[in-house]
Amino acid sequence: MTLPLVLFLVFVLVIVLLLAWAARPPAISPLTPEQALEALSEERHYSRLPQILQSLREDDTEFMRERGHCALLRRLRAERKRIALRYLDDLEGEFRILLECSRILATLAPELGAKTEFDRFLQNLWFSWNCRYLRWRLRAGWEPWDVFGVLSDMAGTLTLQLEAATARLGERALLVTHPGLRPHDRSRDSQ
Amino acid sequence: MVEPWTIRNLAWALTTCLEVVLLCYLLGRNLFRRHPAFCFYIFATLLQSVSGAWASHHWGGQSMEFFNIAWGTQLVIICARWFAVIEIARRVLASHSGVWKLASTILFVLCLVILSYSVVIPRTRWYLSILSADRAVEFCIAAFIVALLLFARYYRLEMTHLERQLSIGFCLYSCSWVVSNTLYQGSAHPSGMWWEFFEILAFFATLVLWINAVRSPVQIPLPATIPRLSAERYAEVSQQLNERLNSLNERLNQLFRRGDARL
Repeated sequence: MTLPLVLFLVFVLVIVLLLAWAARPPAISPLTPEQALEALSEERHYSRLPQILQSLREDDTEFMRERGHCALLRRLRAERKRIALRYLDDLEGEFRILLECSRILATLAPELGAKTEFDRFLQNLWFSWNCRYLRWRLRAGWEPWDVFGVLSDMAGTLTLQLEAATARLGERALLVTHPGLRPHDRSRDSQ
Repeated sequence: MVEPWTIRNLAWALTTCLEVVLLCYLLGRNLFRRHPAFCFYIFATLLQSVSGAWASHHWGGQSMEFFNIAWGTQLVIICARWFAVIEIARRVLASHSGVWKLASTILFVLCLVILSYSVVIPRTRWYLSILSADRAVEFCIAAFIVALLLFARYYRLEMTHLERQLSIGFCLYSCSWVVSNTLYQGSAHPSGMWWEFFEILAFFATLVLWINAVRSPVQIPLPATIPRLSAERYAEVSQQLNERLNSLNERLNQLFRRGDARL
């Protein structure tokens, strides 16, 4: 059997695996636009981030070791790590909500940009990967600074993209309800 | 010992019976209105079975006439299957115009790439060219369906149980064709009978899956579940989203910085 024929069998295996994954009914029902807005408006815990990051720094608790409270130091660090992990869960949850909102916008939008959608898909992959990596680092006891920075940038970028998308939708909606606001009409008005 | 040809004919007859049962269910449940292309496909497979049996009886299973009828009807079947698959894609995606435009472009390009690969890359013997072309189309159908399901999953699009099961059936059946064609072409002493028997069995399993799906209560999505907002609602939702995202963005920008964290 030649290599192209073997590749066919490999591709079929990949297709069957993807089918098994994609054909499962979704575990969670999709949010409606109203639910997404409600979820967005809920109070979050961002204001705790500086304290969490500060508490994870080794020098923040080093004085305990110097004074010989090693048991207390371990307990304190374990407790702080647990809080950081919970914070990470919240951060991930927030990103998921943003993604849900972006999906809702995509299903409502009359046109989608392939590049934007692809970028968002990649962001989703990277965010999930970074979250796992960060959890692993936290559990291993390593400082998570850089990864927190990456995650924050991704969430911020996604928010900006959503903002632009919603603005475009708003403009379209305005044009539909007020056709006189089309650019050429406005230029005529200004003359 | 039972003759292999007898087993094959028995499987063929059983498959034809299942086609009749499925067609009856489709007509009895008025599904031909919602899935006309799929109903036509099942009807076409039934006609293919009848015409194949007739040609085999008149000219024999090894004759040129039988060969021409078998592959001629197979061409119609493949076209009908494509229409049925596109019908499912339209039902799932077309109500969301933006997603539909993007998905149709991507799916079209995907099909072109796969067809090109399947036809150009493997250097097959000339007498296997029909099989190669057939495999290319089947491979394309399988990839198309998986991409469609991935799209539906990613954008959380509503898909009824029936549409899901039809898609799974089409995909698995096409995969079985690709596997059997590849194994047939790759083997040193190919046996057409066993290859044909394998495909009949795969179709048998697919029909069982579809009958099971058609028998279960058909869930018809309400139009209200499809997110359609009026222009006014669009504007309202957009404004609300903008405000909330703005405040969220501000908080994210302020807090998610390493430098700020050290404060």
